[in-house]
Amino acid sequence: MIYTVKSPALLIIGILMLVWGGLNNSGVVDGMQSSLQASAYKDYQKVKEKFDAESRVATEMAAAENKPAPEMKMPKSKFDEAKAKQATLSNIFGGAFVLIGLFTLAWKPKQGNLDYLVSVVPGIAYILLIAYIVRWGLDPIFGNWGKAVKGAGILTWDFAKIFNLNYVVLGIVIGMVIVNVFKIPAWAANGVRTARFFLKTGVILLGTLYSAAELAQLGGLSVVMIGIFVLGSVGVVLFMGKRMGTPNSMTAVLSAGMGVCGVSATVAASPVVQAKAEEIAYTIGTILIWGVGCMFLFPTIGHILNMGPVQFGAWAGTGILNSAQVAGAALAFDPTNIETLKVAEIFNITRVLFLPIIVLWLAAWYVKHEEGAVKVNLAHVVIAKFPVFVLGFIAMFALSSAGTFAPAGHYQGKYFSSAEVKEDKLLKGKEARAIEGELTRLREAEGAQALSKYLVDKNVVLEGHKVTPEEVYQSLGDLAANKKMMTRQQNNVLKSVAKMEGLDALVAGSIDKAGKAATHDSKTIKAYRDWIAWLFAFGLIGLGMQITGKALKQAGGAPLVIGGIVGTAKAVGSLIVVLMFVKEFI
Amino acid sequence: MEAPKFERGTSLSIFVSDRREDFTALIFAFIIAFGVMFTV
Repeated sequence: MIYTVKSPALLIIGILMLVWGGLNNSGVVDGMQSSLQASAYKDYQKVKEKFDAESRVATEMAAAENKPAPEMKMPKSKFDEAKAKQATLSNIFGGAFVLIGLFTLAWKPKQGNLDYLVSVVPGIAYILLIAYIVRWGLDPIFGNWGKAVKGAGILTWDFAKIFNLNYVVLGIVIGMVIVNVFKIPAWAANGVRTARFFLKTGVILLGTLYSAAELAQLGGLSVVMIGIFVLGSVGVVLFMGKRMGTPNSMTAVLSAGMGVCGVSATVAASPVVQAKAEEIAYTIGTILIWGVGCMFLFPTIGHILNMGPVQFGAWAGTGILNSAQVAGAALAFDPTNIETLKVAEIFNITRVLFLPIIVLWLAAWYVKHEEGAVKVNLAHVVIAKFPVFVLGFIAMFALSSAGTFAPAGHYQGKYFSSAEVKEDKLLKGKEARAIEGELTRLREAEGAQALSKYLVDKNVVLEGHKVTPEEVYQSLGDLAANKKMMTRQQNNVLKSVAKMEGLDALVAGSIDKAGKAATHDSKTIKAYRDWIAWLFAFGLIGLGMQITGKALKQAGGAPLVIGGIVGTAKAVGSLIVVLMFVKEFI
Repeated sequence: MEAPKFERGTSLSIFVSDRREDFTALIFAFIIAFGVMFTV
């Protein structure tokens, strides 16, 4: 079979991307970009203002000394970086697509690997074009709109944030609209199917972002929560299935889907319980309806309840049935930061690691309850169906925790370094004197009592021990003497004290300023986050293109009733557990 | 006759086992990881 479809579409997409790259490089679209990238543009204005003032002074000084005005170059702002990034990405991919597009039109395809590889490129370009439009156009438009409506007092809340109108949700919705209303063009069909490959790559690459301590904390929590809810859901579905008289194979396959990781678990468990094709279709339909609904609903509830990344990630990773939708919900909730996705994926992967246990349980249950059940080779099924790329994630994490990709302490995208604090970011004399004055006040009887009471009332704990007034005195003294934060611990101690009522506002501001000056962005982690965000954005747009009305309509009958009850119980139950017992720790 | 090695199914189940795809994703992820490490 020949997969390559001859079409000028790839060439046209490549040209469009090159045009966008050129427009950004030449500055023609600066006006439009300044409203789309509003916060980056503010940074540009600040940098320009500072640069203009500096060059004016330099020119005046040179004139006073009868020297020619020095040539100065304006430093790059975040706005310049954002435009350059768009131009580079557009030029690289646009150039590649133009070349491959020309090749496709001129080439006579022959059956084989090259034909398959060439056939996926137009679909990849198609999704990438949508990703560019959504991420660089629609996402900032809705973001600015939500802020403007709130700022004008029309609404008291940011509708774009609450309804998650960001690149993830918009991308999935556009994907769903394309497949259900317009249909995917034939030239793009093969490439759209690569979405899963990019999601898998994103999950493996996510392994670069965890520190060992973080993973140990998240891993412990996820094993407990997933253990309770996965095994609980499987047990409840098996019980309800027997009560409602559904066939054993149907009940078993539904329990795997509802308990473990949705469609994948359904497919993995089906051979051991000899599920029929229509039973698998019923289960997949039920899981999809539930998964898609949760993907849109969970982030909104998370914002309304003001959940943090650990709480939301734990809830999504436990309560949403299908793995891909877990990633969608986590990124929809927190599209700029990868922290929520990190937590949710740990839960997702823990679920997958439960898969062999569930397959063995279902096999034993099925043989016990079904007369004349044919025995299958369990070891063979488990090995054949286990997704190997999960081991890739673990391998990546092992390398990452050994410090291969970034130094320890960089994993949350920021790191602490006192040595890298710039001269102009040091505290001023006035600020240091205010800190010394506040230190004297806090050492006196009344101040000391207030500080001790605050530390006890707020239960200020750092690295497993309660912070003492002496630690606060030491930290304040060091800050005043050095005019910068010297250690991460000092920063953490003072950050908690800065919120104390009655503390001098200048001192609180100085603590905040010194903390920010010593906290730096990790370029490597930022680059990994960017890659992961793009891989997931791509994968999720492709995912949207595969959520068809036909697949959703498969749901029905007893599986839908059981699925609805167990799915609701799992979502609500895990939400209650998360809100009651899970605290933010990253 | 259609070659089954090119049938990738859908992305509705990302954890479904597809060894060829898994290993390719693994190689691609390592290329990105080390690429970023050496260039950024």
